[in-house]
Amino acid sequence: MNKLLNSSLQTKIISVCVFANMIIFVVNLFLLLGINSMSNDMDMVYQDNRALNELTKALDEVQDSMTLYLSSKTSDSLENYYISAQRLSNLAGDLDDKITDLSYNRMERNIKYMTGNYLSEVEQTIDTKRGRNVEKYRAYYEKSTELYKDIKAYLTSLNLELFVSNSENFSTLITAFRYFEVVAVAVTFLVMIGNVIIITKFVKTMIMPLKKLSDSADEVADGNFDIVLPTAHYNDEVGIVIGAFNKMVISIKDYIEKLRESLEKEKDMQEKELTMEAHLKDAQLKYLKAQINPHFLFNTLNAGAQLAMMEGADRTYEYVQTVADFFRYNVKNREDTVKVREEVTLVDNYIRILNVRFSGDIGYDKQVDERLLEHEMPSMILQPIVENAVNHGIREMAGEGRILLKVYREDDRLCISVIDNGKGMDSKTIEEILSGTRNPDESRYDNNGIGMDNVISRLRLFAGRDDVINIKSDGEDKGCEIKLSLPLEEK
Amino acid sequence: MKKSNVDIYQKRINRQYLTLLFTLFFVVITLIAGSFYFRFYRAGITRRAEGNEYDQYYVMITDNYKSDFWQSVYRSALETAKEHGIYVDLLGENLSGDYSCEELMRMAIASKVDGIIVYASEAVSMTNLIDEAVKNGIPVVTLYGDSTHSDRLSFVGVGGYSVGKLYGKQIVNIIKDNRRQELLESETIGDRTQIQIAVLANADTLDAGQNIIISSMQDTIRQENATDSEFEVSIVTVDNTNAFAVEESIRDIFMQEEVPDVIVALNELNTVCAYQAVVDYNMVGDVNVLGYYDSEEIIKAIDRGVIYATVAIDTDQLGTYSVQALMDYYEFGNTSEYYTADITLINKENVGDFKKKEEQDE
Repeated sequence: MNKLLNSSLQTKIISVCVFANMIIFVVNLFLLLGINSMSNDMDMVYQDNRALNELTKALDEVQDSMTLYLSSKTSDSLENYYISAQRLSNLAGDLDDKITDLSYNRMERNIKYMTGNYLSEVEQTIDTKRGRNVEKYRAYYEKSTELYKDIKAYLTSLNLELFVSNSENFSTLITAFRYFEVVAVAVTFLVMIGNVIIITKFVKTMIMPLKKLSDSADEVADGNFDIVLPTAHYNDEVGIVIGAFNKMVISIKDYIEKLRESLEKEKDMQEKELTMEAHLKDAQLKYLKAQINPHFLFNTLNAGAQLAMMEGADRTYEYVQTVADFFRYNVKNREDTVKVREEVTLVDNYIRILNVRFSGDIGYDKQVDERLLEHEMPSMILQPIVENAVNHGIREMAGEGRILLKVYREDDRLCISVIDNGKGMDSKTIEEILSGTRNPDESRYDNNGIGMDNVISRLRLFAGRDDVINIKSDGEDKGCEIKLSLPLEEK
Repeated sequence: MKKSNVDIYQKRINRQYLTLLFTLFFVVITLIAGSFYFRFYRAGITRRAEGNEYDQYYVMITDNYKSDFWQSVYRSALETAKEHGIYVDLLGENLSGDYSCEELMRMAIASKVDGIIVYASEAVSMTNLIDEAVKNGIPVVTLYGDSTHSDRLSFVGVGGYSVGKLYGKQIVNIIKDNRRQELLESETIGDRTQIQIAVLANADTLDAGQNIIISSMQDTIRQENATDSEFEVSIVTVDNTNAFAVEESIRDIFMQEEVPDVIVALNELNTVCAYQAVVDYNMVGDVNVLGYYDSEEIIKAIDRGVIYATVAIDTDQLGTYSVQALMDYYEFGNTSEYYTADITLINKENVGDFKKKEEQDE
C-alpha cells in the first residue's frame, strides 16, 4: 500500500478507478451468473413436457412400425420397430417410478410400467406374426393397441398436468426473475454510489496536500512568510512540488532577512552622520554663548550707568540701567513660565528703550489689574508681540503711534490685550499669522530673534487650545488688537 | 502544530484504508450472502415440486369418481393408506377421458400397481380382469359391488340384507300410513289401492347385492303382515350404460300413466334424479322416495320432506376396510373375505340430529 501511495499521482488515480471498476465488474459478473442460472431454470421448466413429447413420438413410432410390419411384413419396418422399441424402452427407463403425493409422479410411474407392458405385448405380437400364428397375433395386436391408446391417454393427461404445474413454476420463476431484476438494479445502484464515495474520498485525500500547498502559497503571496510549511508525505508529484515550494519559501525568507540587515546598517550610518552634525552645531552654539558672557555685559552696562551717574547725566544713567535690566531678563529667563508681572515689566523696559532710541514718539498706556499680575504665563511672549506691533504697526504709519497694554479678567480667563493704532492688517495676513504660514523677514536687523510663529505655537502648547491668541483688525490704518486669553489657574 | 497536521493526514489515510477494507469486506459479504440466498431461493422454487414418497401404490376404481359417495370413500381410504406409507389413487381422476371400470382395471394391471380396489360387478369381463390382475400378482379388493366368482381377495360393502330390511321397514311404515288414511277415506276394501313400489336397479350390473336388497325388502314387508294386495314391488331397470341415461330413465317412470307410490333408489345418482323428478312433476307427497347415501343434497331433501328416508352408509368404514384388507394381505398373506360397513337410516325424525352431528364433525 505504501508503495502505491509513494507512486505517481497518475498511477494512484488510475489504481482507484481500476479498483472501482473491478468491483462493478465482479458484481456484474455475479448478477449475470444469477440471470444465467435463472434463465436456465426457465429453460428447464418445460423440459418434462419435452421429454414426454419425445416419449409420445417414440411410442407412436413403435405402434406405427408394428402396424406396418403386421400389414406388410417388410424388413424395413421390422428394423424400424427394433430401433424405436429400443428408444422407447430407454425413454421409459428414464421415467421415475416414485409414488408421491403429486399426481404427475404417480402418472409417470404408471406410464413407465404400462410402457414396459406394452413393449412386451408388442414383442409378442411381432413374434407371433413371424411365427405366422394368425389367431394369436391378432389378439396380441388388439391388446397392445388398447394399451397404446391407454398410454397415450395417460401421456396426454400427464402432459396437461405437467403443463399446469410447470406453468405455475414458470410464473413463480418469472416473478422471481422480476424480483431479481429489481434487486440487480438496486445492487448496481448501490455499488455505483459506493464507488463514487470511494473515488471521491481517495481523490480528496490525494488532493489534500495540494490544497494545503495552495493555502500556504496564498498566504505567502499575501506576504506572510511565517507559515506552517506543508509536509510532503509521499513521494508523488505533489510531494515533489511541496518540497520545492518549501525550499523556495525558506530561501525567499533568507533573502529578505539579508536585505533587511543591509538596510538597517545603512540607516545606522545615516543616524551617526546626523548626530555628528547636531554635535557640531551644539559646539558652535556653545562657543557663541561663551563669547557673550552676560556678567561681562551687565558689568559693562553697570559701569556705564555709574559713569553717567557720576557725570550727572541722569537720563543716560536711567537708560543704560533699563537696557541692562532688559538683557538680564533675556539671559535669566531660562524657565518656561514666569509671572505676568515680569512680562509686563519687560514690555515697560522695552518701550522705554525704544522711546530713547526713537526719541519718545511711542505713546504707551497700561490698564492692568494688579491682582492678576501674580499669575503665571509662558516667558518671552508679550515683548515679541509688542515688538511686532511696533515694527509692523507703528513704525510704518505717519503720526504718533500708541500702544495700549491691558491685563484683565474675563470669566475664568486671564486676558492680555496689546492694542495699537498702527497700520492694521487685512484678514488674509491675520489668517497667515495664525496658521504660521507667513514668513517673517529674518534678516531684519532689530529683530529680537523670536518670531510670531514661535510665540503662537508656545502659547498654544501652554493653553492646550487653538483660540488662545486672537488678532483683530478693522482694516488698513485702523490699528490692531492682539488678545491672549490664558487659562486662569487657581492658586 | 506541524506534528498535528501530519497526524491528521495520517489519520485520514488510515481512515481511507478502513473505508477500503470495509467496502471490500462488504462487497464480498454481500456477494456471498446474495448467492447463498439466491441458491436457497432457487432451491425453494424447485423443491416445491417434490412431495412425500410412499412405499406402495393402490388404486381405487369406481364407476363415477365425481360422486360425493365415492369421493368420501376415497378420502377415508387415502387417509388410512397415508398413515401406513401407501398412496391410493382414485383412478380416472387424472385422465382426460371417461373410462369404464373395465378399462381402468386394464390400465391398473398394466401399471403394475400394488393393489386394486374396484367397484366390481358380476359381469364376466370384470371377473376375468380381476382374475388377470390376481394372476399378475396384484391383490384385488371389490368395493361395494362384488364379483363373487372372481379370485378377489375380499369384498368390502354393505350388508344388502340389512339395507333391504331398512327399506322394507320404511315401506311398511308407508303402507301403514296408507291404511290409516284409507280407513278414514274409503268404505269398502275394494277401494283400497295397492301401493306400487318401484325399485331402481342398474341395468348393466348383474348385481347380487341388488337382488339381496330387493328380496330382503320384500321379506320384511311380508313379515309385517302386509298382503300382496297391498303392495307390489316392481324392478325398474335404469339404463346406466351411457351418460345421462339414468336421468332419462327415471323421468320415463313419471311419464307413465301410473306413477309408483314408492321409489327405491339404490345409489346416489338415482336418488338425486328421482328426487328432482318428483319435484319437477309436482308429486311431492304422492311419491315417496327412499334414497341411498347421505350427501348434502339428499339430507336437505329429507329435511324438506321430498325424500322419505335414506340409507346412510359409513363411507369412512368402506375406505378404511378396503385399504385394511390390502394391507392385511401384504402383511399376513390373507384377510377376511367380507367387510361390512355400518348403515343408518335417516328420515324426517332424525335428520336434525344427523345434521347437527355433521356440523360438529366439520
